[in-house]
Amino acid sequence: MEELKSLSRRNFIKAVVSLGAATTLSSIPFFGYSKSKEVKITFLHTNDVHSRIEPYPMDGSRLQGLGGVARRSTLINKIRSEEKNVLLFDAGDMFQGTPYFNVFDGQVELELMSKLGYDAGTFGNHEFDNGLEGLLKHFDKANFPFVTSNYDFTGTIMEGKTKDYLIFQRDAVKIGVFAVGVDLNGMVDPRSYQGVKISDPIEVAAKYTHKLKHDLKCDLIICLSHIGYSYETEKVSDLMLAKNSRHIDLIIGGHTHTFLDKPTEVKNLDNEITLVNQTGFSGVNLGRIDFILDKKRGTKRSIATTYSIDKSLDSNNVKIA
Amino acid sequence: MSSQLSKYNLLPWMVLLLVFSSCKTTYYQSTVTNKQMLAINNQIPEDSIISNYILPYKNQLEDKMNEVLGHAPEALIKNRNIPESKLSNFFVDALLSIGRKVDPDVQFSLATKDGIRAGIKQGDVTVGSIFEVMPFENYITILELKGSDVKVLADFIAETNGQPVGNVEMLIKDKKVQSFKIAGQEIDPNKTYKLVTYDFIANGGDLVRGINSPTYRLTTSERVREGLIDYVKELTKAGKQVESKLDGRVKIIE
Repeated sequence: MEELKSLSRRNFIKAVVSLGAATTLSSIPFFGYSKSKEVKITFLHTNDVHSRIEPYPMDGSRLQGLGGVARRSTLINKIRSEEKNVLLFDAGDMFQGTPYFNVFDGQVELELMSKLGYDAGTFGNHEFDNGLEGLLKHFDKANFPFVTSNYDFTGTIMEGKTKDYLIFQRDAVKIGVFAVGVDLNGMVDPRSYQGVKISDPIEVAAKYTHKLKHDLKCDLIICLSHIGYSYETEKVSDLMLAKNSRHIDLIIGGHTHTFLDKPTEVKNLDNEITLVNQTGFSGVNLGRIDFILDKKRGTKRSIATTYSIDKSLDSNNVKIA
Repeated sequence: MSSQLSKYNLLPWMVLLLVFSSCKTTYYQSTVTNKQMLAINNQIPEDSIISNYILPYKNQLEDKMNEVLGHAPEALIKNRNIPESKLSNFFVDALLSIGRKVDPDVQFSLATKDGIRAGIKQGDVTVGSIFEVMPFENYITILELKGSDVKVLADFIAETNGQPVGNVEMLIKDKKVQSFKIAGQEIDPNKTYKLVTYDFIANGGDLVRGINSPTYRLTTSERVREGLIDYVKELTKAGKQVESKLDGRVKIIE
């Protein structure tokens, strides 16, 4: 063991790999099973759906004929039938944009998201349009949790109604989710969010990524964000957050109604890639990102919590499905 | 685990455990393999469970949106390239009337050409028609402005080739104010003037200048849309129609 400890990191990894290979060669059935064990986690996401329940009417507008919750449901169901581990998230501004919200006060949006099996959502600024009372009015219609890590509702009627973070377990993969929302000052009528304390997204991200990574040992960390993709000013954005944070695998963004063909890859503080994605608005797109998690050769799940593999193994030892 | 392990040689296991527990990084490593943006279009059939859920709400909404409030003898067409339109005049005259109910001292009204989102079709004017004109949850807002600020506002209106205004007459030449009158009177820079608009504009939306340092502000809890709906209902009650005319209130001269 002394010898192993003294090895350089790279050599150490080689040592680990060869050890794994050796035990595999000794044909212990257990390792044979582990070798091909990969876990795929499929993330589906929407943002800024803005009460667009039905498709846009065919009225010559830019997005005519696009969107619609009933179609989104079909697509999600199809993906769920093909993939084992699907998580469906929304990045806020579910409300406001069609009379469905004005007339039914959010009930239809929340009941539909429940029927579609959303796993979590967060709040955009428009969730506050009818005040905290308006937000609470049909809140119980949502059968899924909301994460609002940088909004503190203590002392308001929304106290205790949302989560600071969530953990999902899928095939022994631990997925941590936290969320950051936009500064409501100047964006929402002050009366509509009275008593809500809003913290800086970057500070909050530092706090929760540390907790999710180191205390709760998450394998994947997802940030739901309604702070916006990027700005010409110094206003905090997803790109800025990605750059100034650690451990976030994916930021599912919203607010700026940004259409991205593919997620933007941003190098974070550890020089690792954080993906930033956004689907435009009104539910005209569904975002999908699959993460494949590879169990190394010679490992077993029950010792997984202490087992470690460096990412430098990526190029020579990881089979990508 | 021990029962499983007991079948095998324990030594490599012990070694593995010791080696691996000394490391800090995660057990899994992730690889992003599939990044897609999936368009929701008519190639995807509707999930009937979901469309059946939506249907009663849709019907209820249509009933509500189809409620007839009044009648338009001719279409009020949206045209943002002219200094005043029948649509914009109708809108700001309604705004003036709504504002004066809140505060009888309101002297003039202001909207923006971009803020009026759709025209009104000839025929029945429904709740849905008003939603199209004003889909936003904007609130009736009263501002009291210094005369000197009203002049700045007039400059802004002139520079943008006219904006919807009520109880105002103005002449514009080369994007400059030739004259600007409220209720037929020139602006006295030392007096104050009460304006009705909505919170979006008062908060800096559409970058309107001259309204950012009011001497008084009242943001009401009445939505512009609700005000418009009531206004049209009252017109109908009084035997009037949803109509307007071009009265030359904002003129661009050569």
